[in-house]
Amino acid sequence: MSQSLLLKKTDFSIFFQTLKSLGKFFAPVRVSEQSFSFKEIETEAQIAWEALRTILPPKKFFYPPSETLVEYSGNEIREVKPEMNFQVLFGVHPCDLAGLGIMDTIFEAGPADTHYLQRRKESLIIGLSCMPDKYCFCKSMGTSCATKGYDIFLTDLGDAFFVQVETPRGIESLENCRQIFTSVSETDKDNYKDYWERRDKAFTNGFEPDNLRATMDMEWNNEIWDELGKRCLSCGNCTPVCPTCYCFDLVDIASLNGDSGSRVREWDSCQFVGFAQVAGDYNFRPTPVDRLKFWYRHKLHGFDDPYGFKTCVGCGRCTVSCPAGIDDLVDVVKKLQGQRESRNDSSEAGGENESQIK
Amino acid sequence: MRKDATPLPCIAVESLTGCAGELLVILENLDKLLPFVRVSSFPFAQSKNDDGPVDIAFVEGSVSQPHDLEKLRNIRAKSRWLVAVGNCAVWGCVQGGACAKCKVTDMLEAVYGKSSEIQVLEAKPLDAYVPVDVKLSGCPINTTQFLSVTASILKDHLPYITHKPVCLECKLRENACILIEKNLPCLGPVTAAGCGALCPSMGAACYGCWGPCQSPQMDAMATILTEKGYDAMEVINRLKTFGAPDHLFERMSSETGREA
Repeated sequence: MSQSLLLKKTDFSIFFQTLKSLGKFFAPVRVSEQSFSFKEIETEAQIAWEALRTILPPKKFFYPPSETLVEYSGNEIREVKPEMNFQVLFGVHPCDLAGLGIMDTIFEAGPADTHYLQRRKESLIIGLSCMPDKYCFCKSMGTSCATKGYDIFLTDLGDAFFVQVETPRGIESLENCRQIFTSVSETDKDNYKDYWERRDKAFTNGFEPDNLRATMDMEWNNEIWDELGKRCLSCGNCTPVCPTCYCFDLVDIASLNGDSGSRVREWDSCQFVGFAQVAGDYNFRPTPVDRLKFWYRHKLHGFDDPYGFKTCVGCGRCTVSCPAGIDDLVDVVKKLQGQRESRNDSSEAGGENESQIK
Repeated sequence: MRKDATPLPCIAVESLTGCAGELLVILENLDKLLPFVRVSSFPFAQSKNDDGPVDIAFVEGSVSQPHDLEKLRNIRAKSRWLVAVGNCAVWGCVQGGACAKCKVTDMLEAVYGKSSEIQVLEAKPLDAYVPVDVKLSGCPINTTQFLSVTASILKDHLPYITHKPVCLECKLRENACILIEKNLPCLGPVTAAGCGALCPSMGAACYGCWGPCQSPQMDAMATILTEKGYDAMEVINRLKTFGAPDHLFERMSSETGREA
């Protein structure tokens, strides 16, 4: 039911004000020289249009890092429903839209996570086109073009946006500023196609994805896992930044009166040693190698069988967030595929690892 | 107090060799505890203290002098729950970590002269001498954690205390990574969380004051910091400043031949 429209950039302010009047408006904001974060904004000028990846992905809006699920008092247990205000999430790139799609599949699967789903329902998602940098590899993961997960998608055509309205809610949200949109001309359509063709050619990072499944199966005992494991800090940075990591810990917090308390869900990471620690102090993933390898497999192969998709969307967040420089997924996959010219090979010779990541 | 009322659980708040930071945190929150406990001993905060048995003893500071040890053994004997509070009591802090490089007798002489009558021990955490039921690190301890730990113990439950690294709290605050973007020697990856990533949130490197996280990867941390250009010895000193015990460095010294 996609509807295509054109929005001149000079009219963007009106579009922004209209969306902002619908609820809280979140967009990527610059937080440091290299980093961005989705934050609530007041003015159009706060939008960091150049942002490719935020520190945390948009999953934080639907699956918050910390959330009280139930409160108890005496013998009574009360579910804490999410406090909802309608929110507009602006500037979500194709990789993150794919990530949300994967999270939807996971959280919708029975028993459905009603908190997540309610937050999804109360949100308007505005996608935005982007040109890849040297860490982007969504093309290899098949997530470079958004096909769903958004209400409205904007493609940047220079002085105008090619606007695709995908959902009834998207159409509704434009009602109060309908006059600023025009129908698309043949030239606009050509420009649109041209943009996506240029973008497709702009990828410099990536790997040949066809044999990924077999590679992950066959290379389970490849020596590079040990090399990576030795450098792994088990700091867990790779998982909160991943658009599709959903693991959590449940913590009961008692009140001093001894009669009441709450149960809180917090993001956890499979990279922490305590994650796989079970009764009897047994740990089924005791070393950093076990944990790192597990995570890679989970991202690149683990969902092939139950769901038929991979849970990596190629956003490059893990690569730029790893202090040890070992979450360079593209580099690791290439090495596993047998392409030995990868950059980490030099580390054995010189011990100088300046070239990795940054 | 009504005579038929069930007696409140008794607590003691005691100090060995430390900066009293933990005592201040507990004192600041005493009003929240008072409806639920009787404070039988808290020499830092009250003048009338008794030496009877208690349900919970919170002990801060390291064992650094013979009288600390005597006091600790006495506290252990009279307490159902012994809770080590703060880095000094849990890990030995700077006096146990950074000072371990020097002989304690040399330090004593340098500070107090040759003929000092002061008696010292090598600074050690509580569990070097007595069984400790709960270890709540911090420098100083976090109020929320302290109250939640106390609430659990009052119910005779083992409390939940996170031993995940500072990086988790830092990422959740969406700070730019100090290690990656500033190349500062941030110890967030190997340090226990609980502080809310206070230093990195202010743009400073974590210096590890809460002590090690669970299973810290000290060797990987040392490798990454030396690659950033930090001197290997300086890195080891930094990692050991707040009392991280030697066994965490075993792999490092055996593999690189570096003296850890």
